[in-house]
Amino acid sequence: MKRIESKLNTRSPEFHANAAHNRRLAEELKEKQRGARHDRPERDIERLRKQSKLLVRERLERLLDPGTPFLELSTLAANMAYDGEVPGAAVVAGIGIVSGREVLINAGDASVKGGAWYPLSVKKTVRALDIAIENRLPVVHLCDSAGGFLPLQANLFADRYYAGRIFRNQSILSKMGVQQVAVVCGHCTAGGAYVPGLSDYNVIVRGTGAIFLAGPPLVKAATGEEVTVDELGGCDMHTRLSGTADYPASSEEEAIAIARDIVAQFKRPEKTKIEWQEPEEPFYDPAELYGVIPRDIKVQFDMREVIARIVDGSRFHEYQPAYGTSLVCGYAHIWGYKVGILANNGVLFNDSALKGTHFIELCNQNKTPILFLQNITGFMVGKDYEQRGITKDGAKMIMAVSGSEVPKFTVIVNGSFGAGNYGMSGRAFDPRFLFMWPQSQISVMGAEQAANTLADVKLRQMARHGKQATAEDIAAIREPILEDYRRQSSAYYSTSEIWDDGILDPTDTRNALGMAISAALNTPIGEPRYGVFRM
Amino acid sequence: MFESRPTNATESAADVKHWPFRSVLIANRGEIALRVLRTVRRLGLEGIVVYHAADRGAPAVRQADKAVEIAGSTPVAAYLDTAQILDAARNTGAGAIHPGYGFLSENAGFARAVEAAGAIFVGPKPEQIELMGDKVRARAFVAKAGFPVAPSAIEDDDPNTFVERARAVGFPLLIKPAAGGGGKGMRIVREPSALGTEIERARSEGRRYFGDGRLYVERYIENPRHIEVQVLGDAHGNVVHLYERECSVQRRLQKIVEETPSPALDEKTRQSICETAAGIARKAGYRNAGTVEFIFGRGEYYFLEMNTRLQVEHPVTEETTGKDLVFEQLRVAAGEKLGYAQADIRPRGHSIEFRVYAEDPAHGYTPTTGPVLALHPPSGEGVRVDSGIVQGQDVTAAFDPMLAKLIVSGRDRAEAVARADRALANYVLLGCKTNTAFLRRLLRHPAFVAGEIHTGFLDAHPEIAAEPEAAPALLQKLLAAAALVTRPVKDAADAVPAMHAAMGHWRN
Amino acid sequence: MHHAFKLGEVEHELWLSHSRGDYQLHLGDSLIPVALRRDDHGRCFITTGETTTPVTFAVRGDEVHLHIDGAAYTLRYRHPMDRLAAQAHHGADDAIRAPMPGSTVAVRVKPGQSVARGEALLVMESMKMETTITAPRDGVVESVHVVQGQTFERDTTLVSLVAEGAT
Repeated sequence: MKRIESKLNTRSPEFHANAAHNRRLAEELKEKQRGARHDRPERDIERLRKQSKLLVRERLERLLDPGTPFLELSTLAANMAYDGEVPGAAVVAGIGIVSGREVLINAGDASVKGGAWYPLSVKKTVRALDIAIENRLPVVHLCDSAGGFLPLQANLFADRYYAGRIFRNQSILSKMGVQQVAVVCGHCTAGGAYVPGLSDYNVIVRGTGAIFLAGPPLVKAATGEEVTVDELGGCDMHTRLSGTADYPASSEEEAIAIARDIVAQFKRPEKTKIEWQEPEEPFYDPAELYGVIPRDIKVQFDMREVIARIVDGSRFHEYQPAYGTSLVCGYAHIWGYKVGILANNGVLFNDSALKGTHFIELCNQNKTPILFLQNITGFMVGKDYEQRGITKDGAKMIMAVSGSEVPKFTVIVNGSFGAGNYGMSGRAFDPRFLFMWPQSQISVMGAEQAANTLADVKLRQMARHGKQATAEDIAAIREPILEDYRRQSSAYYSTSEIWDDGILDPTDTRNALGMAISAALNTPIGEPRYGVFRM
Repeated sequence: MFESRPTNATESAADVKHWPFRSVLIANRGEIALRVLRTVRRLGLEGIVVYHAADRGAPAVRQADKAVEIAGSTPVAAYLDTAQILDAARNTGAGAIHPGYGFLSENAGFARAVEAAGAIFVGPKPEQIELMGDKVRARAFVAKAGFPVAPSAIEDDDPNTFVERARAVGFPLLIKPAAGGGGKGMRIVREPSALGTEIERARSEGRRYFGDGRLYVERYIENPRHIEVQVLGDAHGNVVHLYERECSVQRRLQKIVEETPSPALDEKTRQSICETAAGIARKAGYRNAGTVEFIFGRGEYYFLEMNTRLQVEHPVTEETTGKDLVFEQLRVAAGEKLGYAQADIRPRGHSIEFRVYAEDPAHGYTPTTGPVLALHPPSGEGVRVDSGIVQGQDVTAAFDPMLAKLIVSGRDRAEAVARADRALANYVLLGCKTNTAFLRRLLRHPAFVAGEIHTGFLDAHPEIAAEPEAAPALLQKLLAAAALVTRPVKDAADAVPAMHAAMGHWRN
Repeated sequence: MHHAFKLGEVEHELWLSHSRGDYQLHLGDSLIPVALRRDDHGRCFITTGETTTPVTFAVRGDEVHLHIDGAAYTLRYRHPMDRLAAQAHHGADDAIRAPMPGSTVAVRVKPGQSVARGEALLVMESMKMETTITAPRDGVVESVHVVQGQTFERDTTLVSLVAEGAT
């Protein structure tokens, strides 16, 4: 496996301009993440302090093994929803190390609206538990929630992937033998009560923790019974009388210490064996990624420059280097783990689609996880290509991606448009993890094309009515469309809606993928089986 | 080490062959039992020890030719049980009994019983023990012979006028139990008004400790120094001294550090005090090794008491004079003549003994206990360790907290002190807190370095006993080592998968 | 930090992590590379940062005895669960309840008395078996709710404890 020879001129003005631009985007990302994690109204923090509660980030740091990484997922969920008032969708999710074990952490954030569940909170939690199921990751729940946000209950209660799915996922995890421990730091009311209830183990904090189907006011309204929180669902009642909770704790710190000790009892999963070798830092500095990505999304760049700054030793075995060159395929190692990489170097043609299909089959044959690095405007259009069967070649690629049994990981490096998103393992194709880079965009087609297409339709309507559109008319049609598109195709919109698992600073990609691959190997890799490839 | 010194000219196997005993029973324990055994075995004699079950694993018991278990309501009681010890001597055919120090070493009744049983008591005649054992009689004996004693009043002389006579001695004064020793029951009185109450307290303490409430008082010398002289007499009336030892560093009136020569004495005073000690022994017709203790201050010295046995601190004298005092004791007991004159004893160099105690100086020198988990005594040039403990043994509250003695010698005091600092630093004993770190603080103290010490020195400098807070760099080392050898801590580190450990505290 | 060692009266929190073959000590905000090595002669050395020092150690239960820089030290490991449980001033353990119905055979404590964890509070009899009720933690007896000979039901509060120094 030879080292990629970078052709990047790191002293060129172009490189410096790109680097400055992308660094600023990365800083913006970090600042938004910092705000989502820590900026809270003073009164909310004071309220928690008065209850001698820890903030969710403090709980997290006490739970995790010091000196170990934490891959936070969907940090900026809901950042463009609910007027930005529900940072992180009031949930913290991620993968970290507790007592030496990889676990998924699902923590309610009571500093946001008392930890109330918004529709996106539910979506984030369900996604987190899907990750736990797919990757057989034990779960630590840190519960502190006021319950469902009633004004939006229609968007979070009844549908297949709404709140009920949380409890369904917990049950499935248990059925699979993947262990869960819940720490009841605050109230777990109504549906929330089932989070500790469905966990294999749970710990409850005396004084602040409570579990009940209905709190004292609702009980009074329903039956007239007057009862205190402690009597109804407090620590001592549940650990001594009802048996709903297992371990009493006198403080959150103690509760977390107990939870850590419980996790220490978990059987470690047997990792699926894939090709592995001693990890090696990339030869090229990952910080140069900032200079690789052009400032304009329309400018093409060589994806090998990205691969060289993510993989071990910048070494890459390229498959079919001369065929279907708009799709770069080959093998490399990330944190020692062997991966197959598919990376876009332009639009997908017939040959590149066939090459991709073949390579996906190869990876499945030799049990090599696949990394998709997306920068794709779509499959080539036009008479010539249709005649050569671009649609059926694209269908082959989609068939191969869908039938793939090895874990898939997708990073949207730049553009992700049209059916290219599908062929390159978009969200719908169940990659184990999907991350985006800050400047990347995702939509059915590019904003310009979409605006032009829509403007064109409008102009033809106007022409039918015998109207001649002025430049102002065209602008008036195009501008709002462009604006909507810019908004909804941005990485921030995608991550707000949880179409991805988070936006990554490009330099964090290597570690994020390392953790993702490691987690994915908890699940055995099955034999590949595909549908019918249209030949 | 002691053995490395040239052997005495008079010491030879031929002499031992003519001795009236072929075996020696050691009626003691700990380091002194081992110390005596070492000489006994070196001479080709049979070494026998008695031991209580608590000492079963002690090195003396393991190294002895014969070991006889004795029992008692407490371990100490066993070593005080004359009947059992004599039975052991009879059953093993012991020709002589060496009492060590403490226990039965100054018990005239025991000495008599040994002789009555037909064995030889390695010590003075019983009358000499009795004379010197009674502090009041001893003092009168010394005063009558014209040697200096501190102004004093003895209650027994006339109990009715005792208080008045005590007052006449002058303040400050020291009240002592007539039957006392080892510093127990002593009281310092500075105010005439407190005299009455202090006398009553001393009396009740005397009754409690010694079953004897009689008292005497003597003039108390502020910041006095404790100087003692090693003497050696044979059964033929020959007495020599082996020069002085200074034992002024004391805690709770018990010695911690002893050295020879004393930094307090000029040559003239040294000769005078040593001659006085030899004179007292000569006057008493003293046989055996003995120690005459003096109180010294402002250029004057007064007789304090005489110990008719081997002293704990005898090794410093051995190191500077080249005499094996246990060998000398055995020779004398065998009836040999000393065979050398005072002028033949020419001490050289400087030697200091540090008593390694199981105690916590920072908490009032309270005794500590625990298992000896690791034991690596220091070694090197000028370093001798007399120890009776072994790794794996338990240090309990059953016995005196002294674990071992570190004796360090050099060409001069400065060299001895420097070697002692190194030796104490290298004295590894884990599992039971000891005073070695305190001893290092002590010997680095400017007053000690200058030799300006007195018996109240440690009380005047409580900072020496206080444990200093661990400096950040030391704390790091301690915590790092503790973390790396504590299973839950190391296991938690090792439990983290290698890749995640390599990533460290990474956040995205 | 999850681990703690007590040196004298002071508790020091720390964490040890393992990175690329080496250990690092997390102490406060600092991260110190550390290593414990044994040479061919069996001597041990502790390395912290740039400093390497000979060390002798012995471990006995939770005690670590160390000889470093010419002196001996004893550190006591405290498990986080013990440590954090002990920090609580009020707990369910405040009220000691009868585990089963029975009668009081003997009361061993008086109000105001300090008790150590495991110390006998009272002896009860039930089903012809005597059971000693012991203190679940260190504390001070606030009140004793039963007298000798008294019978009681399951879950009856027998003794109330308060934390040492609590009022």
